[in-house]
Formats: sequence, structure tokens, C-alpha cells
Amino acid sequence: MVTRLSAQLPAEVAVALLDTDARSLPAGTAQTLQLGRAQTRGMGTGGEAALGLASAESEEAGLRRLFAGVPLVVLVTGLGGGTGSGAAPVVAGLAAETGATVLSFATMPFSHEGERRMRQANDATVKLGQKCHGLVVVHNDLLLQQVSPDAPLSESFAAADNWVGGAIRGLASAFAPGALIAVDPAALRSLLSTPGSPTLFAYGVGEGEGAAMKAARAACDCPLAHAPGAVAKVASLFVYVAGGPAMTSTEAFEAVAAVRARFGGETSTILCARIEPALGDRIEVSVLGASLPAPKAPAKPKKGAKAEDPAQPIFEFATEESMRRGLFGGTPMTFIDGQDVDVPAYIRKAVRLPPSP
Amino acid sequence: MTPKPLPSLIAVIDIGTHKTASLLGQIIDGKARMLSFSERRTDGVVKGTVTDLEKLTQCVHEVVNDIERGSGRAVDHVYLSLSGPAAEGERVKGFVAVPAHDGKVTAKDVADAIASAKRLEPPSGRATILYMRQPTMLDNRPVSNPVGMAGKRLEVNFWRVTMEEGNMRMRVGMVNGMSIRVRDFILASHAAACATASDADKQGGVLVIDMGAGTTDWILYYKEHILCAGSIPVGGEHLTNDLSVALRISRETAEDLKLRFGSAMHRDTDVNQTIWKDGDKGVGDQQFNRGTITQVLSLRYQETIEFVRKDVLRRLEAIFPGHAVKLDQNMIPSGVILTGGSASLADAAEAVQLVTGLSARVGVPNFENESLRKPEYAGVVGLMTAAITDAPPPVRRPRGFLAQLKELFRL
Repeated sequence: MVTRLSAQLPAEVAVALLDTDARSLPAGTAQTLQLGRAQTRGMGTGGEAALGLASAESEEAGLRRLFAGVPLVVLVTGLGGGTGSGAAPVVAGLAAETGATVLSFATMPFSHEGERRMRQANDATVKLGQKCHGLVVVHNDLLLQQVSPDAPLSESFAAADNWVGGAIRGLASAFAPGALIAVDPAALRSLLSTPGSPTLFAYGVGEGEGAAMKAARAACDCPLAHAPGAVAKVASLFVYVAGGPAMTSTEAFEAVAAVRARFGGETSTILCARIEPALGDRIEVSVLGASLPAPKAPAKPKKGAKAEDPAQPIFEFATEESMRRGLFGGTPMTFIDGQDVDVPAYIRKAVRLPPSP
Repeated sequence: MTPKPLPSLIAVIDIGTHKTASLLGQIIDGKARMLSFSERRTDGVVKGTVTDLEKLTQCVHEVVNDIERGSGRAVDHVYLSLSGPAAEGERVKGFVAVPAHDGKVTAKDVADAIASAKRLEPPSGRATILYMRQPTMLDNRPVSNPVGMAGKRLEVNFWRVTMEEGNMRMRVGMVNGMSIRVRDFILASHAAACATASDADKQGGVLVIDMGAGTTDWILYYKEHILCAGSIPVGGEHLTNDLSVALRISRETAEDLKLRFGSAMHRDTDVNQTIWKDGDKGVGDQQFNRGTITQVLSLRYQETIEFVRKDVLRRLEAIFPGHAVKLDQNMIPSGVILTGGSASLADAAEAVQLVTGLSARVGVPNFENESLRKPEYAGVVGLMTAAITDAPPPVRRPRGFLAQLKELFRL
């Protein structure tokens, strides 16, 4: 995925590919780093998260060099397998330690991929959520809802690339010099200052007449923001609007107002706008939001559990599992034909629901 | 061994994921007259599995107290319902070669065949809960009473239901705790069928689907006998859950919307039909698209029925290996009867018809008391009916089995 994305990104973004499997690191434009040469001998982890974790730890020095002096790290990872689930939290942790703001996009496996991968992915989201400043979870099941049932497989993957790619492109261009309303990465940092707080992300494109409103509406209906359990309203928003030379300021502010009406952003809304001639009459809207997690009475430490750093505040972090399973969160999974049937049928069948009034 | 005489008082308890119901009836001339009824919210059961024994025990004690107080009679034994995936069923068979001297089947041959079927041990760690008679075959032809008929090979079949021993002891112990014996277990789906399917339905062939809150139990009758039964760990709570996830609303709101606006069929006209949560359009009222509600519910409902259809086929294939078994109106002329709380979902029968291709109707228990004539009470009413019709048991149990059972129940 990152390989495909790197072609569309502006030059200001440095791309690095990390993997344990040597074959998936093609020599080319992007910087590559093979993890766990000693542990896996370039063969991949075979789905073992522990192996992925050890692989990333062994490459600590290389990773630190990679992140040195980088203000914003966007980590794109697929959870469920060994490398993504095991290494991603370590990589995110190291990047955060070097002082970068870390925003992660993690894709969850399809429900048809079975119990083990889903568990591994659920565990990894919790760990990853604690390490990065922002975590956006992309459900593969939900992405499938966006494409028609008879679309070829490549189209589903293209759709996935589109959402995440748009997000990264938007963020990267926002900080590049030359924006109409500019922001610096520190603004993003203040937005995402609390690790483990739920992150909202939405992206939409509009074209032709009323493009800004179309883009705003598309962002409001973005499946990434409609994942079950995803935050509905947030305290702080970051809105990025990009359009061709014809974009008017009224249009841009209308779009922002529409996005605010849907997602909140009462405490603060950071605005960023930019003219990109390449977009023509298209307008793109990206939204990133975070709300402070509700402070909660510290959980009683479990017997035998290791004492955590007392300075670390304890937050309830809603796991992916409980988000998807709703009232059944915390109960054992029930499998029929290899699917966890406690997950709503419409999610597993990837059916797009009618819009809310 | 003489058949057990029918007691004059019968108490039944139906423990479900959502509610526990109990009925006490006096038997006059083979018919039950209701003395008292009680139902309470079940605590400690999730998805048909007991998670908190203490809470569940308390709940069972409460309903027993209720029916005792309500009738002024003391209960000394009860029939318990058995549902969910904990009760696993399979077909067991036994056969004898009919002695050649006159080639006629004697009562002893039948008893020997039954004994040979029941000698088959259940898998280790599991206890046999009940046997249900299936067609007797004489030289591969089904016969109702083979005694006196000529043939070479006599085969008897049973649908045997087993349960993990610990689980069964727990259930028995729960009732024993208040000095009440468990007289017998009755399969919940069988009970639901007894309350709603006529003898003619069972004679021809009928599939009864009992969708409760936590599990969906089904049973298939063919030529008057139970052919097979099964359970899917999905029920009405899943409908509520899907709605609560999709609309981000509480369980209570989802339950309420499910009952008022839900449907097992999604129609294009539902989309953009706006409904209000409270209807007063006041503070805190919310509006939803009815299409979302019916879409979410119909997908889950129809998927669950599809799971049942697959489960029926899987079990039929296990019973008749090598045969291409088809579920159609020829095999099941009476079609599907829906019972349990989720049968009340609007258009449930239509959805079942769509998924299975069989005719379907919602089954209402046939009972003197009008307040119990609802599909959700098919289970508890049926327990009473099944207790009456199944005792004395149609099959005499071989020696030792009853003693074995008593031994277990005395724990």
C-alpha cells in the first residue's frame, strides 16, 4: 500500500518502507528498512506478533536514525499479521520518543480472515493507541461497503488507498510552504496531544458546481468517521481544504461550517486552505479531530498485574473489539463459518446503510 | 417396569437468556389447567450460556416461589427446558438380526435393539440427557410397530441429546438447592413444537424455529418423528445489538425501536421514511431513517435463518450420507413455524419464506389462558404439553438408565 501511495505524494514527504519480508521491500525511490534480519532471515513473521515485536526492537538504532529531526510521522500499517501487529507499536513508540508527532492509520483485517488475526489486530490497536498521538482505524469491512458488490478486487484496494492516500496527501500539503492559511506541525501536535484519545478522521472530494459543499458532505459521510463506535463529536478539529484556482473563500468557509456542524470542534478549529492548480475544479476536504478522553476513576489494578508507571494517567481506551461488537464487547467471540457472529451482520456483509436524516 | 404414572401437578421452568418463565398446572383427564404462572428477567445468562450461577439460581428460586405462592401448592419436582448449543444432539442407532426360525419380530427383539442403541456411550465428559424416538426400520423400511411383522434386520433410531456433565449437574443442583427434584429435561425446541404444531404438521413434516433472546433453536419433524434438532448461538439480542451499534443508541432505545419500527424485510419505501424516537419532538428526541432500522434488522434476521437452513442441511447430510437432501415443500409440507420472542418481529414469516423457500407462519401456543397465547410463550406452554404427552414415555427405558438418571439428579 505504501509503495502505491508513495507515487502520489508531494516531494516534501519522505517515504520509508518497513517490513520483515525482504521481498516486499523493492529497491526504488523509497527508503527501505528491513526489520528483524536476525529473527526472520528476511522471510516475514508468519503471523507471529511476538516475532514482529522482536524484529522491530532489534532494529531500534536504525529506526531512531530514520525519525531523527522529523516533525510529523504518519505510520500506515495493516494489523492482524505479525509484522504490523507486533512492530507497529514499537515503531510508533520510538518515533514518539524522538520528538515527532505520530499519527497512525491502521487497517483492520476483514472479518472473514478469522479469529486469530482479529484478536491480534484488536490487541495491537490498544497498544498502538497508547503509543501514538493519533490513531485512525480503517475497517476493511467498511471499505468494502463503499464499492459495488460486483466490483473487481483491485477496485476495493484502490478505494482503501484513496481514503488513506487522501489523508496523507492532505496532511503533507497542509504543512508545505505556500498555503493560503498556513499551519505548522506544532498545531497538529497540540490537537493530538493526548495519546490514547479517540481520533476522528474524514476525507471527501467534490467536483464541479458547489464542489466545496459536495466535498464537505462527502467528508461527513466518510466511512472512516462512521465506523461503529467511532467518535461522533469532537472538541478540537483540524480542517484542511484544498482546491483549484477557482475556489472562493466563501466556498471554503461554507465547507468548514458544514464540517463543524457535523463533527463539533467547539473548543478549537484549526483551519488550513491551499490552492493547488492541479486539482482543477475539484475540492478536497480532510478532517482530523480529537477530543480529550473523559477522565475516569482509576481502574482497580488487577491482581498480579505489573504496576504501571504511576505518573501515567489511566484512561479507558475503547478497544476495536468492543466498538464493533457493541453490547457483546467483553464476551467470548462466537464463530459460525469462521465469522464472529456477534459483530453486526451489516458490517460483516459490507452493506452500506441508508444515510441518516 | 411400569410406565411412570402421570402426576397430578406439573411444574415447568423455561430458563431463557432474557426471561425465566414458570408454569404450574393441574392435570385433569390428561389436560393441564393453569394454576399459576410467573416470569422474571433472567440474570446471569449471556448468549444462552450461564455466566453467573448465583444470580441465575436466585432468579429460578424466585419464579418457583412465585408459582407456589400463586397456587398455594408445594412444588416437589419440575421439568426444565434445555436450549442453546450446550445441548448437543446426534442420531444413535441399534439393530438386531431377527432370529430365523419364524422370521417374526418379537417384543424382545425390539427391546434388544433399543438396548444396543443405548449402549453407545456418549463422548467422555458428557452425560445423556434424553432420547427421542425416531422411525424404526425393518429391512430398511420404516414401520410404526414392528412386533409381529416378518423381516431380517430390525433397526431402531434415537435422537440423543447430551450435555457436558458439569453443566448438567449445575442445572440440576440449582433446582435441588430448594429441595425440588428435576423430573426430566425437555428440549426447548421440542416444547415449542408441542405447543404450536398439530399432529398433522408433525405427520407430514415441519420445521420449528424457536428464536429466543440469546439462541435460535430448531427442530425438524418428519413422518411424525423428530428427525434432527440443533441450535445457533444468535438470537434477538443480536438484533438489538446491531441496531445499537448502527445508530449509536443504548440497548433500551434499540430494543424499543426494534419493536416499534423493526422488520425482518427491508423495503425501498422504508428509506427516507423519518421516524422519531419519542414522537413528541421534544428535547432529546432524535430522528432516524426507518430504512436504516429495517436494513440492519433484516440483514441479521435473514442471516440467522440462513444459518439455521445450513445447520439443518448439515445435520441431514450426516444422517443420510451420500443423499442429496433438499429442503423443500415436498419434504416439509407444513413448512416452518416460528416461535420465541423474535417471531413477533414484523414480517418474520415473509423473511423466512424468502430465505428457506418454505411456507412459514408464526406459531401461537394453543392454551386456555389468553395472556399466554403469544409466540414468546410457546416454550413454557409447550413444556407443559410435552410433559403430558411424553409421559408415560412412548419408549420404555431399559433397566438401569432411570436408576442412573436418578443417581445424577440426587447430586
